[in-house]
This record gives sequence, C-alpha cells and structure tokens, in this order.
Amino acid sequence: MNVATFLLRRLLIMIPTLWVIATLTFFLVHAAPGGPFQAERDIPAAAKAQLMKTYGLDRPLHEQYVSFLTHAARLDFGPSYKFPQRQVREIIAEAFPVSLELGGWALLIAILIGVPIGVIAAVRQNSSLDYAAMATALAGVSVPNFVLGPVLVLGLALTLFVLPPALWEGPQSRILPVLTLSTAYVAYIARLTRGGMLEVLGQDYIRTARAKGLPESRVVGKHALRLGILPVVSYLGPATARVIMGSVVVESIFSVPGLGRYLVNAAFNRDYTLVLGLVLFYASFLLLLNLAIDVAYTRLDPRVELA
Amino acid sequence: MKLPRVLGLAALASLLACAPAARRPVAANASAPRWFGSTALPPGNVLRFNLGAEPETYDPDLAVGQPDGRVARMLFEGLTREDPQTLEPLPGEAYRWEISGDGRTYTFHLRPGIRWTDGRPVTAEDFRWSWIRLLEPKTTSRYASFLFAVTNAEAFNKGDVKDERAVGLAAPDDSTLIVRLDQPVPYFLYLCQFYSCLPVPRRTVERFGNRWTLPANIVGNGAFTLTYWRQNNRFEFAKNPAYWDAASVHLDRVVGYTIDDLNTSFNLYKAGVIDWCPSGYFPSSFIPYVRGYADYHHGDYQGVYFYTMCVKRPPIDNVWVRRALNAAVDREAIAQDLLKGSRRAWGDFVPTGYPGYENPPGLRFDPAYARQCLTRAGYPGGKGFPRGISILINTSEDNRRIAEAVQAMWKRELGIDVAIQNEEWGSYLQTVTALKYDVARRSWLGDYLDPNTFLACYVTGDGNNRSGWGDPRYDAMIRAAAKELDAKRRFAILRGAEALLLADGPVIPVYHYSTNELVKPYVRGIYQTPLDVHPLTHVWIDRDWRRGPPPVASASPPAPRSKAITRRAAAREKVR
Repeated sequence: MNVATFLLRRLLIMIPTLWVIATLTFFLVHAAPGGPFQAERDIPAAAKAQLMKTYGLDRPLHEQYVSFLTHAARLDFGPSYKFPQRQVREIIAEAFPVSLELGGWALLIAILIGVPIGVIAAVRQNSSLDYAAMATALAGVSVPNFVLGPVLVLGLALTLFVLPPALWEGPQSRILPVLTLSTAYVAYIARLTRGGMLEVLGQDYIRTARAKGLPESRVVGKHALRLGILPVVSYLGPATARVIMGSVVVESIFSVPGLGRYLVNAAFNRDYTLVLGLVLFYASFLLLLNLAIDVAYTRLDPRVELA
Repeated sequence: MKLPRVLGLAALASLLACAPAARRPVAANASAPRWFGSTALPPGNVLRFNLGAEPETYDPDLAVGQPDGRVARMLFEGLTREDPQTLEPLPGEAYRWEISGDGRTYTFHLRPGIRWTDGRPVTAEDFRWSWIRLLEPKTTSRYASFLFAVTNAEAFNKGDVKDERAVGLAAPDDSTLIVRLDQPVPYFLYLCQFYSCLPVPRRTVERFGNRWTLPANIVGNGAFTLTYWRQNNRFEFAKNPAYWDAASVHLDRVVGYTIDDLNTSFNLYKAGVIDWCPSGYFPSSFIPYVRGYADYHHGDYQGVYFYTMCVKRPPIDNVWVRRALNAAVDREAIAQDLLKGSRRAWGDFVPTGYPGYENPPGLRFDPAYARQCLTRAGYPGGKGFPRGISILINTSEDNRRIAEAVQAMWKRELGIDVAIQNEEWGSYLQTVTALKYDVARRSWLGDYLDPNTFLACYVTGDGNNRSGWGDPRYDAMIRAAAKELDAKRRFAILRGAEALLLADGPVIPVYHYSTNELVKPYVRGIYQTPLDVHPLTHVWIDRDWRRGPPPVASASPPAPRSKAITRRAAAREKVR
C-alpha cells in the first residue's frame, strides 16, 4: 500500500472516532450537575432565562446536540460561556502556541538528555554508571511536578534569586517550567531507550556489524540505535500530545497562560462550549500524532509495512 | 519501598509549608520594621499587582466578581467615586448633586468637559442609556437589582414594563441626570459608584456587540485605559491623559496579573515581581508567618462565613433543633485554634463596619442551652435524632477542617452524629440552590456599606435565601426599613430583623472575614477598606520610602465629610 492511500484511509477513520468522542463528551458534560450560569449570588430568573435562550440551552438536548455537531464540523464551537467576549477558537489560538512552546522545549530536552543516558546505560549495562543513571531516572519518574516545581522555585527563584519564580515573560521565565515539565519525560525516555537498546544489542545483526569490524560508536550509534529507539518513538505519540496540550500543574505553579488550565477550569465552570472545543482539539491532535508515529515507524524499521 | 517515598514527600511538603518561616531574617534592630522579600523599586512609575482569577468580563453591566470589578473600576468612572480610605462617595463624573427632601429624587450635575477616550463628551444621556442597558432583560445582567429602587426599574427588568421612558431616569440636558426612586435609599450614592452602575460608551457597545471590551475596541472614561490584555496572563493599563483628574493620577502604568494559584502569587510578591498581593491571594496558612512583617496589612472585611440550614427537611424544620445546633458551635475555638487567629469569631449575620449600625447580641457558644433546646425538640441527649444528616461543603482544605470541627462539637455537646459531604463548586451550588442539603457551608460578602446588603437575602423566596426559610414578620421589617427616612430608626428596625434571623432563622454564623494583604513599602495610597475595594487613582510609588511616610497620607482632593465618619477613619488609622 502506498503512503497516500494509507494516509487517506487513516484520516477517514478519524472522522467516526472524533464523532464518538464528541458525542460522549457532549452528553457527559451536560450530565454533570449544575450548569454554566450559576453562582454564589443568585441570578434573577429573567436573566437566567435570557441567558439560556441566548445560548440555545432552553432547547431540547437532542436539538442542541445536532446544532453542536453541525457547528463543530465547521470548527465553530461558539463563544465561551464563561468568557462571553471570546470565541473558543480564539482561546485555543491564543493559548495553544504557549503550550506548544513549553511542551516543545520540554520534549526536546527529554529526548536530547534521555536518549543518550539510556544508550550509555545500556552499553555499560550493570556498571555503576548504569545504576546511577537508572536510579536518577527512577527518582525523576517518581517525583511529581507539584513537588518538583515548588522545590525548584524555592531554590532558584526565592533563595538564589537567579530566575523569576513564575510568569511567562522573557527567556529566563521558560527555564523553570520547562525543567519541571521535562524531568519525568527525561527519566522515562532514558529507561525506555535503555530497555530497547539492551534488546537490540544482543541481536545477530549487531554481532555481524561488529564482526565486519565497524567501530563500536557506529555499531551503537547507527545500527543499534535505529531499532533500539523504537519504543521511545511509539511512546512519543501520546507523550507529545500530553506534553504539548499543556500540563495544568506546571501551568498553575508558574502561571503560564497555556491550554491545560483552560481545560480543567472549563470543566469546573461547566463551560460546555470550551470543554467540547478543547476535548475535540486534543483528540484530533492525538490521532494525528499517532498517525505520524506510524509513518515514522516505517522509516526506522524497514520490516514494518503500512497496512 | 513505598513508605520512605511517602515520608519523603511529606517532609518536602512540610519543608515547603515552613519555607516563609525558615527564611525569616533575624532583625538587627527589633524596632525597625521588617519587610517580606525584595524591596527593590519597580522600574518607573508602575504598579504591578495580582488581579486575581481571570475576570469573566469587565463590561460593567455584566461583571460579577471582584476581579471583574477591579478592571471595570479602572476603566470607567461613575457619578460618584470612592474615597480611597473610607469608600465614602466623593464627586466623580458628577461634581455636585441635590437630594430632594423626601429622599426620592436625585439630581446629578455632570462635571463640565469630561470626555470618553475617543474624544466624545460624557453626557447625562450616556448614564441614562447605560443604566437602561443594565436593566434591560436582554443584557442578562446579574446585578440589575442594584437599580431596582429606581421607579419602574424592576418591572422593566422583568419585562412587565416595556417602555424605557417609564423608568425613573431622565436626562433633560447633557449635564443633568434626574433619578427618581420609589423609596428613599440611604445608600444610593454608594450604589452609584458600584461597578454595575458605571457608564458604558453607547457607540462602541452598539458597534462591537459583546466584543466591545476587547483592548482594540474599548472606550472608557476612567483614570486608566486598557492597553494590553492576555487571558490567564495580564492586563496592562496606562494613565488616561483625558481623565478630568489626570493631574493627580501618579502612576504611568499599572499591570494586573491574573494569577489564580495562591502559592505562585505569594512567591511573586516575595521576589518583588508584584508590588501588591491583595487580600485572598496568598494561602491563609501563611498568615502566621507573615504576621510579623510590616508589609502585612490586616483588617475587617465585610463578609461572613456561615452555615445555612435547610428548613424544609426534618429535623431541621424544627426551630429548637436549629437553636441547639447553633448554640453548640464554639466559634472561638474555630477562629483561634483552627484558623490560628487569622479570622475573627462572629456570632452575628451582619458584619461590622457599617456606619451607625449596631448588631444585636451575637450568638454564643452555650452547651447547656444547646442541650436544653435539643431536649425541647424531642431528642434528649441526642436520642432518636435522625441519622444521615450531613454538612455539605465545597471542596477546600479549610472548609473541611471547619466542618470536621463542627461535626465534633455537635457530637460532643449534643450527642448527635452528622456526616460531611464534599462536592466540587458547580455541584455544590446546584445542591444548595435546589435545597437538597441539611446543613451547608456558605459565605456572603457585602456590596455596599449598609446592613441591607446582608439582611435582604433572607426575605421569603429571595434567590439568595437558599434555605427555604421565610417569616412574614421578617419580611415586614425589611420592607418597613426600606421606607424609613430616619437613619437611626431604620437601623433599629434592621437590628430587630437581624435578631429575629439569628433566633429563628437558618444561619449559623462562624467567622468574620478579614482582609489579609501584602503591600510593598514603596507603594503609597492603598488602604484597608471594609469592602476590599482599592481605587488606584491616587496610588503612587514612593522612591524615597526609606525616609518614612510622606507628611500627607492621601492625595485625594478634600471633600465634605461627616464628623462620625471622620472619627471612624481616625480610629481605624490608630488601630492600624
């Protein structure tokens, strides 16, 4: 099967998948107790009725559902209920680049540091270097963001005063959130790389490569790494989606205006349109990434074919 | 393997919690004030502060929360504006006004030469149109009721009166606004400066619809203009050179960050990135640590934390059960032991600080009386008291701790078992509104300086009542007070109403809110106010702050003041 047909088929399959996600989300969010227009202070009945009418919430649920689907098909999610002066689209367009930048740096660092650590640990298996690397990785995976973030702030921002404690202004402000977000990924990627490499290094073709006199750096760096990194590649799909869609913890600790906080707050606020818009955006992104990973697989491992 | 990790986390967490205390520098001179964190001056004449959670909107007619109001007040000015210390109404866009003898007609005279930022003059018609917009049903304002005292305003808002000319607002010429009220409202001038009553620019609103407030479109008449906004990040304001009092606006720029994480807000204050951390924007558990610093300001805030009881469900429909539950709550223990004195125990429903109003004697912790009441209700020693009664709280650490304390008090003093039920905010509101609870945590914050802002909630069927309680005697008192012209008699009636509410009603007051804020020493002109409202018009950055406070505390223009209020302000000054 050639690449174009494969892509087309996969893209077409995405449509029913997204429809199922949209439907589930729609009914789940409407089933949650309460609604978008309630507050500690009572809203006069007339104002509430008018609000419900303005947003079409007075119509039967199935009508709302159909209207939502037809609009969503055109990528129109309407205005946010909580922030009525803004369209859901605008909110995503403003916040996504921030999450993309934060997540992009974190992911880049995770790969650039995690993969070499994993390779070294695998090559020096059972050496003290290996143990040290894996112990550090275990610690990195185990410390949650909400502990690591404040510790970094306390040390670097409030004691040494070398970095701003929060906010998204200027290059220095990127360092702490990126560090906080990437640590767990560095650790996880290092472990995955080590595992993948160990498996590959024992295989026949590596012995062949060594037998024909290739330098060790070439054996490891070219022949082994290409297959040894496959577990990392398949992990990168969902990891990228997660890290780039924004982490609510990191965004809150560092007051970063990214997507993660919107999603959580929208759910609490019963901001139906914003929840639906964000969930569908996330879902599409994840599906596309998985597709990209599948294509990347065939490039790295000639034995894998598109099907 | 698992246990040490958990312990490690706990140790880290406690380390973080103690951080402010551990880092407290040792004062070389005990009498010199100590400041928390950096005191480096900001670059230029700029004030940077935490505006709080992201405002939902800052269209004055739609604004609902404190952050919304903060932004709206900077961009727009009402007929009156607040005195920065007492919040008394001072001349704003109106430079003088007359009140008729029966207190029902207000004639405002607008200041000559006032302009919107697009150069158009601010006219009386702008005010009339803005207030009609607030009242119009299609605006869906949540605060339209602020103007219900105006003739026909309520009927217009409910859609019963269609003609806006029937509403008691008239602009006979560009500089005169005449407001007719159904009843005298002694606090009407306070309402005029509330954010819902600020004027909005008609042309801009009509042209851009609900997008008129975006920085590119917005037109204002306040001391500042909006120059930048990024959601979940910050608002930037610049001094409005066209503002009539621009000569006494000292700040060139104001940056309001929207930081909702309390720890983050605290860190930014400490690092000197923000100059002012307003009340409620750092964790209350840090209060004991910052108490010794001179930049910590503390005062009464017009709000009460209380428990509401749903009187539609047995056994709480029985007034003796309600009295028993009330008398068995040890407020002092909650305020002093649990909350470490960061709040004040409060047995009344109306908070303190209303000029001229005296609360009835507050409810007191009286276990013997509580047991008597429970016996009278038919449950001696808690015997036969129904099971399955619960306290509903919305998710928060403090709410849970207080609920656990109350649960223990009721068990100890009355021998009854209640459960604690925890819901996130949206579900909690739904449950309370639908009266599907037994006892629930609530709080109420005042909007203007009059007990009515509290007591009106418990009129039968009021949307904020949420307890099912109603008493014709109470309703009659609130109505009578609204008609009473004499302030003293009016307060006496309201005092009676409050006493009735406490004796028979559905509320268990717990504590009085307080403002707890951090202000850098070089910021001048931010004062403690009972409404936690802080006009920034006259705030300035004192680059010479180490030489001590300036001789004149406030740069606000002189204004006529009643003696009582001046005395109160003086007393407050002394307390501080």
